[in-house]
Amino acid sequence: MSTLATKTALCEARGIRHAYALPQGQKLVVLDGVDLAVYPEEVVALLGPSGCGKSTLLRILAGLIEPTQGEVRYHGKPLAGLNPGMAMVFQSFALYPWMTVAENVRIVLEAAGLPTAAIAERAERAIARVGLSGFEEAYPRELSGGMKQRVGLARALATDPELLFLDEPFSQVDALTAESLRAELMDLWASKTQHPVSILLVSHDIREVVYMADRIVILSSRPARVRAVRDNPLPRPRDPRSASFVQLMEDVHELITGHEMPDIPAAEHPGILPIEALPDAEVSAIVGLLEYLDARGGREDIFRIAQDTQCEFGHMISIVEAAELLELVDTPRRLVVLEPIGERFVRAGPEERKTIWRQQLLQLRLFRIVHEALMRQPDHTLERDFVLETLVLHLPQENYEKQFETLVRWARYGNLFAYDESSNTLSLQRIASP
Amino acid sequence: MRQGTWDLTPVRRIWGHATAVLHGVRGWGWIDLTILAALGGSVYALSLLFSDWRAAPSAAVEIDLDDYAALFRYTLMSLARGALAYAISLLFTLGYGYWAAKDDAAERILVPLLDILQSIPVLSFLPGVVLALVAAWPTSNAGLELACVLMIFTGQVWNMTFSYYHALRSVPNDLREAAQAFRFTAWQQWKWLELPYATPGLIWNSMMSVAGGWFFLMVTESFQLGDRDFRLPGLGAYMSVAVEAGRLDAMALAVGAMVLMIVLLDQLLWRPLVVWSQKFRVESQPEAYVPGSWFLDYWRRSRIVRGLRPWLRRLPSWHQRRTGTAIRLSAPTRWSRLASRLGLTSLGLVLVWLASGLVVLLLRVPLLVWGQTLIAAILTLVRVLVATLASTLWTLPLGLAIGRSPRLAGVLQPAVQILASFPAPMLFPLVIAVLRSTGVPLGWGSIALMMLGAQWYILFNVIAGAASVPGDLVEAADSYRIWGWQRFRVLYFPALFPYLVTGWVTAAGGAWNASIVSEYVTFRGEIWQTAGLGAQISEATYRADYPCLAASTLVMASMVVVFNRMVWRRLYRWAETRFASTR
Repeated sequence: MSTLATKTALCEARGIRHAYALPQGQKLVVLDGVDLAVYPEEVVALLGPSGCGKSTLLRILAGLIEPTQGEVRYHGKPLAGLNPGMAMVFQSFALYPWMTVAENVRIVLEAAGLPTAAIAERAERAIARVGLSGFEEAYPRELSGGMKQRVGLARALATDPELLFLDEPFSQVDALTAESLRAELMDLWASKTQHPVSILLVSHDIREVVYMADRIVILSSRPARVRAVRDNPLPRPRDPRSASFVQLMEDVHELITGHEMPDIPAAEHPGILPIEALPDAEVSAIVGLLEYLDARGGREDIFRIAQDTQCEFGHMISIVEAAELLELVDTPRRLVVLEPIGERFVRAGPEERKTIWRQQLLQLRLFRIVHEALMRQPDHTLERDFVLETLVLHLPQENYEKQFETLVRWARYGNLFAYDESSNTLSLQRIASP
Repeated sequence: MRQGTWDLTPVRRIWGHATAVLHGVRGWGWIDLTILAALGGSVYALSLLFSDWRAAPSAAVEIDLDDYAALFRYTLMSLARGALAYAISLLFTLGYGYWAAKDDAAERILVPLLDILQSIPVLSFLPGVVLALVAAWPTSNAGLELACVLMIFTGQVWNMTFSYYHALRSVPNDLREAAQAFRFTAWQQWKWLELPYATPGLIWNSMMSVAGGWFFLMVTESFQLGDRDFRLPGLGAYMSVAVEAGRLDAMALAVGAMVLMIVLLDQLLWRPLVVWSQKFRVESQPEAYVPGSWFLDYWRRSRIVRGLRPWLRRLPSWHQRRTGTAIRLSAPTRWSRLASRLGLTSLGLVLVWLASGLVVLLLRVPLLVWGQTLIAAILTLVRVLVATLASTLWTLPLGLAIGRSPRLAGVLQPAVQILASFPAPMLFPLVIAVLRSTGVPLGWGSIALMMLGAQWYILFNVIAGAASVPGDLVEAADSYRIWGWQRFRVLYFPALFPYLVTGWVTAAGGAWNASIVSEYVTFRGEIWQTAGLGAQISEATYRADYPCLAASTLVMASMVVVFNRMVWRRLYRWAETRFASTR
């Protein structure tokens, strides 16, 4: 978009890197080298799997979090403290439960230092704008999720923001309501007479992003980097059933999966052998995926799977990654294909399933390291901390506690190790000889 | 027939007017009278108190046991002292809790300090507070009055402060973030977010605290310090005199007045406040068991209240004009940092000064007394634990039975709470008389005295726990025919355990406090005591032996703090991880 390049950015992030300190002194890098700009009169969407750091990026642009490295600019000037042109809508609504709808809206105007007369008038207008007239005296607990988010929107719009920041705004609202809220919000934005000038949306829902955004920024996870930017030239109002809309959704799918599910394994470093990070997936979900594939003749499109199982797409990717890591499935492009061993697994009885699972686990270096360490110990037990240290050493980018949790869950299913939560020790499961 | 029909229109019109007028009269219900009476009573009570403040200093006031009108006055005066102490507690809580929650450097000093202060028995503050304040007001009674108020304050304040501090630290992150994103000033964050969020806990703890403040009323209104007698006109002093004189009728009257005061406070003040405070509950929190309040319902219908409400609404916008432009909270300003440093430094200086004074006192304690103190401490610790255990043994089955029946729980839970807030020492004379006549030594008898105050906390918590056992787990136990001991072992005990631990912590704290008045008692003018840390503190106070008082207080405070950290807190954490009801 050549026109955008000539305009100056409303808000801009340059070279953002952000790390959280973990309790044991390690650092978890969530954002690394991210550049992002929001120009006037556009809707930008940040798309990425859950927990990839896109909400953190939004908060950095809002001035709620100070980045470890990098700079945020607002109208070309470096930002100190809160972004003055921004109003935020929260995923969890974040309404004050002890205040009525009207009070929730009024207080942000009072905080903005408006005179009393203007507060009443503007609050009333904002409430009317989101279609909540008549609910002024209701308390949030009396409202449905969709209504609550309308209050959240009214609160943000009341402050007349130049930039509207939406943090997964409709993920806790039921699907039908979300649909109509999106349409209403885009209508509000399209009437260019009033603020907001631009919208920055964080979402993991591809459909939502294609419906709303002019520019889609796709983030990779752990740590988040900008992987791809896709312009969305579809004319508004957009029709989700139109061929061009569906095509664009598929393109975005492609962009995500192209990066998230690499078909070629990463080149191995000489020296330290790499350890595979365990995707955050329940055993039952992996088994469910295999059952599903088997019923579909062994292959299916990943988007179709996510749609059929009503599983959030980011989570579905984790499950497929896990199955692929265990060599139970293969993923040529967008397809997920059952491997012979996966097929054997699905058809097997409970005991044989556990045996296959165990074999596949022991193909992974992490499980082999832990298993060997357990064998070496005279009493065949290991402290949790030992495993955590191994994880921190080899996978510094990962949340090691989450990794450990997944390790224990997978191992328990295969009767590989037992874990005692009260003493924090792993022990070797005695496998009954047949 | 048609001739017989009357035209009713004029009648209807008159009837309409009459009901309208009557309605206006009925709008002024007895609730409004009650509110006016309460206002008048408060003014009268405070005026009584202040007239005593201005009176010439007289250490020990004469109390006439037969003057029943005076008893009414005394009750009002004790109530006014409690109210004054509560006002100070609230101000202290709001300031101290806020400071501890907002200033990371101060937090590291303020929170452990609060823990220590909480474990110091009221009586140990007595000599210092009384002597200093009496000396400060040599020409009026104000010093002694203020000392009494301050001692009630030390019995009230600590758990309020803890509750408020914890609430401030646990404000949900999204609500906090929204406040920042919409640029609330520090003051706005406090009044719109932090104070409302803390309100349910603060009110609940206020109720418990005020009850705790009455515990030592008999001591704080009438005590001996060395060779000097101090007595203030009040309900506690009346009871003390009645006990000394062995007048059963007067004792019964005083107990009756106390019960009446507690029941009225509970029904007219605390219960409505607790119900009202549920408005500030965040949805994600589990719903607390709260019975309704008939008084709150009437209150909302009151004419005075409805008339005043618009005025109250206007209040916020009135002060808003003065706060003016926003002060950013996210980055601490230079001023707040400076104030924090100044505050910490002066607090540090005061602490060093107090500690050096303490060391000077302690250096005068002979080694023999230290040994004695340690043995006494172990004796009292054993008594506290036995009292806790014995209370558990009878309250567990009873509480379980009550809690499992919603109807019983609805009736008895408030009653148990009133029992818990009654100051047990006022019933001690009765128990002591029984002990004397049956020949039970005080070494054992003091355990019974400790239980008298402490056991209700366990009962209360067991009932709450039993009422909250998940219904589906009970149904599962029913359907698999899990009965009797097995049912207790697999269902009730795990579900109750976290509540039981809470009850134990409160009960043991109460028992430590009670040891002071139960190991050393006066009965018909003679002193009856047994070896123990509580007796040692009482004796040291009455003999004005300050080095010994300091030593025994130090030992008691450290015992309580160490026991809290080593035993109760661990048990708590274990209960939370092992028996957490999240599935």
